[in-house]
Amino acid sequence: MSGGYRQQPGSPGKVTRKDGKRVAGKQAFPPPGSGGSKPTMAPRDLDFIPELVGGREAQPAGAHVHDRARTGTSVGKPTALVDSNAKVTGQAWYGDDVRLANEVIGKILRSPHHYARIKSIDTSKVEALPGVLAVATGADSPHQFGVLPVTKDEHAMAVDKVRHVGDLVASVAAVDEATAMAALNLFEVEYEVLEPVFDPKKGLEDVDEPIHWRGKYHLARTNVQKRVFQEFGDRSLVQKPLASSHGKWKMAGVHHGFTEPHAVVAHWGPNGRLQLYTPQQVPHYTHRALATVLDVPMHQINVIRTFVGGGFGGKSDPFPHEMCAAILSRKAGRPVRITFDREEVYWINRGRHPSHIEVKMTADDDARISGFDIDALIDGGGFASFGHVTSYYNGVLATAPYELGSFHYTGARVWTNKPASGAMRGHGAVNTRCAVEVGLDEMADQMKVDPMDLRLANLLPPHSRTISGFRITSNGMREALEKVREGSQWDTKFRQMPLGKGIGIGCGFFISGSGLPIHWDPNRFPHATVHIQVDMDGGVTVHTGAADIGQGSTTAIAQVVSEVLALPLEMIHVKCHESDTSPVDLGSYSSRVTFMNANAAIRAALEIREQLLKAAWEILGYHPNNLVLNDRRIYYKHDPAIGTSYLKALHKAQEDKGALIASGAYRSPPMGGVHKGAAAGLAPAYSFSAYVAEVDVDVETGMIKCTKVWAAHDCGKALNPLAVKGQIIGSCHMGLGQVLSEKMVYGRTGHLQNPNLLDYKIPSVHEMPHVEPIIVESCDPEGPFGAKEAGEGPLLPILPAVVNAVYDAIGIRLRDLPLTPDVVFKGIEKGMKAAGVDDPLDLAPPRVEHGELQPLLVKRAAEHKIRDQARQRSEDTSPYVNGVLFGFDPNIPLEDQVEGWRMATEPDPEQLAALGLAGKAWLKKEQRHMGGDE
Amino acid sequence: MVGTEHVEMIPVAKKEIWSAEVNGRPVEVLAPSNAILLDVLRDKVGTLGVKRGCDLGTCGCCSVLIDGTPRLSCLCLAGQVEGSSIITVEGLSEGAHLAPIQSCFAEYGGSQCGFCTPGFLVTAQALLNENNNPSDKEVANAIEGNLCRCTGYQQIVESIQAAAAIHRGEVEPAAPASDPHPDPHPTGPEEPQMPPGHAR
Repeated sequence: MSGGYRQQPGSPGKVTRKDGKRVAGKQAFPPPGSGGSKPTMAPRDLDFIPELVGGREAQPAGAHVHDRARTGTSVGKPTALVDSNAKVTGQAWYGDDVRLANEVIGKILRSPHHYARIKSIDTSKVEALPGVLAVATGADSPHQFGVLPVTKDEHAMAVDKVRHVGDLVASVAAVDEATAMAALNLFEVEYEVLEPVFDPKKGLEDVDEPIHWRGKYHLARTNVQKRVFQEFGDRSLVQKPLASSHGKWKMAGVHHGFTEPHAVVAHWGPNGRLQLYTPQQVPHYTHRALATVLDVPMHQINVIRTFVGGGFGGKSDPFPHEMCAAILSRKAGRPVRITFDREEVYWINRGRHPSHIEVKMTADDDARISGFDIDALIDGGGFASFGHVTSYYNGVLATAPYELGSFHYTGARVWTNKPASGAMRGHGAVNTRCAVEVGLDEMADQMKVDPMDLRLANLLPPHSRTISGFRITSNGMREALEKVREGSQWDTKFRQMPLGKGIGIGCGFFISGSGLPIHWDPNRFPHATVHIQVDMDGGVTVHTGAADIGQGSTTAIAQVVSEVLALPLEMIHVKCHESDTSPVDLGSYSSRVTFMNANAAIRAALEIREQLLKAAWEILGYHPNNLVLNDRRIYYKHDPAIGTSYLKALHKAQEDKGALIASGAYRSPPMGGVHKGAAAGLAPAYSFSAYVAEVDVDVETGMIKCTKVWAAHDCGKALNPLAVKGQIIGSCHMGLGQVLSEKMVYGRTGHLQNPNLLDYKIPSVHEMPHVEPIIVESCDPEGPFGAKEAGEGPLLPILPAVVNAVYDAIGIRLRDLPLTPDVVFKGIEKGMKAAGVDDPLDLAPPRVEHGELQPLLVKRAAEHKIRDQARQRSEDTSPYVNGVLFGFDPNIPLEDQVEGWRMATEPDPEQLAALGLAGKAWLKKEQRHMGGDE
Repeated sequence: MVGTEHVEMIPVAKKEIWSAEVNGRPVEVLAPSNAILLDVLRDKVGTLGVKRGCDLGTCGCCSVLIDGTPRLSCLCLAGQVEGSSIITVEGLSEGAHLAPIQSCFAEYGGSQCGFCTPGFLVTAQALLNENNNPSDKEVANAIEGNLCRCTGYQQIVESIQAAAAIHRGEVEPAAPASDPHPDPHPTGPEEPQMPPGHAR
């Protein structure tokens, strides 16, 4: 090592005192950069190095751009979450665990009315109460905010109107909770009660007082927040179907049910900067909203994300209570803590939209899927939240994994006087996916074919385009289907089990990171940025804004950095809590974190690695191409004895410049079409999944028990198989809750009846079946080491799998979720009437005898399998667009191929007469087209 | 908290000295006579590892061991357990040595977001104290009062079974992560051991 800084590792054993004490300056501590307790270099783990770069890890999908960055250190190995020790010792700090000196307690006054105009608020009695330090009302927060820039319709506290029971009216900060609660009684609020709307169907009608007013863009005087129309393909294909399915679905709203209630601590420091501690999935959006609402520049706010006790989309909005805490703290001059009780969690909601979904689908003579016709009316509650996007997702995320002849979607999201719906795991895709998959099952029955083969013979291949123009890269759908078919012994069970026992299949398709950053042009700023800093001690500090909500994103980022630099995981320290120190990150939603942040982290780590290798080149005299990184050491690839330690190389690299610093960014490639709404559903990669579920149905009571699930999910490459399996099983749990027991119950008077965990039925350990998680690795060409998402997609297939299994068990199609015993038994009674039997035990379970189409499908599936394998390995790089199955030439633009091929985002005048429920929103005109000019 | 009429707080209760042994340490705090144990533990004693999830006894996040029995601290008046020995999640480990149940939850994915974890840990510890060879059914019965939204319970059951194996002595417990260097090696990878048979 050359001159300059030289760290003394010390050498115990040489100099010891007789009394056994250590000699000053010669302590026995491991040399810096040595990784602490592991003194010997671990052998190179060839099992985790891809075969194309000399390892033994199989690569059925071919080479990956990150192969050379693999060192076999931690990617692909089951890894405990890096913060798990904090969690198991009770030291993880969640929102309510932030206790600042001198704190005061904030409480929120909530609306008792569904819909009312606030005429006046008298706070004088509150202010007079001893112990009250600050009072705030809507007058303190005139600025609107919202998670999407296009739909900012929320206030910190109600201005003018309250829009649902539980809407925020005012807030108060007092020395303790009892005083704050007492203060709430002293507000004198005068309301003028307005006519509320609860039924989303009524939301399509004109009313005197729409819940929000959008000026010239408002749709007549309705409560429609967003309407969508999309049509692609050749609608003439649906004219003479061989099989068709028509299902009308009613799906109840569900809540995320995370265990940690919302909590926030706001503290305006003595320097006039705001520190806000909040369990947030999207701290950056909160940051932006705070700046708007409080009228201070963003750099005067430091948003500190605490540990998040479960998010699932429920903590991915900037929330009004966060603004309240900040406003109160500004007034009180002391830290303010607001913690929700469980009931308040339901008032803020943002759960899955209650939906009315109608799906018509057809198949042609060759059992090709000639058309999807989806109509989704979703109940948005009082605010927009993510609803703009949800309205699109309900349709566009059904355009894959199948090859479609045509696609027609009408959707509408309406405001109602209920707590706002928003994003929840599987955002927007879950309900329609369930309807679509059940429809396919029904068509398979009509065609006398196995639904598994129907799917296998109609899949889009890897590296193709969907009918709406989404770019699919890696695609493990086929493998997932084959694996669950084999694992569940499908062929010996389907349609062969006795009454009350059933098996069903469902598939899923989900985005792996939203292709467009909400707040900026993707060409100007990247999606994600990660900074890495390595100082003399050898520890690697990684700064990222990625919000770990329990899914293990921090671990994933630590893993990829550890992999690239060949350092043990303990040497990687991820700093991701503070907006002051982390680069801007959009947060944890749309399953983007692993894909985007890990990609950025790899880029930054590669830059560090390059500097280390250059330094090793100077020390060893071998070109970096001939050097190998392995466990804190860099050596000549043909002779491991010729090498240098990581630390020596690091210190060499640090000469003259100190700490090594690198920044990496990820930006999605340009994608997508130009039609209105083309950006919704765009993603740099998509995940695929297939589940088979087995159920027991008690035909005498209608009770359903899911007994076993085989769950195959294509996550590209499992960076951490332990976490991926956890996500798959956890998704099953959440999906099972939605399909079997969970429901937000609104009574006749529009009140939410079950805002607590006792009446809102989350499955307990006894309701969980055994889940067999199966990881499918299709190795995405753009994913970090090939990885794609695994957090949301795995939820989708469980719903249709269970619904289809219930049909297999009792022969009755149920389309009213959740399938609680009363719903099921009503269905059974209907089935008994239709079958003319008096005893439910006499019902006949469905049976199938394969028709002449079955061998045709099996043959086509086999041909497509060969096609897919070639495309997956990029041997066949010819373009493939949706429609090739219908005889289209992928080299010619689709609209030029068939007379009737069209792409439309607005209905034709003649279509207006035949629109579905949500489509009726297109019968209305916007104010600007009605002469209204407000 | 919705509605114009809020229930008046119970007239200010008299504050009394509440004493108990929390995690082996005698504790004396001033608390209202009607205080809930959960509030006392979080706000007065400072054991913030005890989590508040629902206030209704439905989620199990606030479970603590009271004289060895798992109980929900949100449904328990502090006065009821005056003088008892209370173990929270903070009291499970022995110094830097995590209890087997803790290290297994980390290692087997029993903890994702971690909010329900303290409740699961003390409940599972109570089970293992009585039965170090539980069947999956017995494990499920023990944790049926705890809700977890992340894991789907499967990896929790696996973690508890792995911890049971350590309790039975079949598996060695893991070394504590915070133990700096159980086998200090001064040379470190500066002079690594080469693969066997390799000529220096």
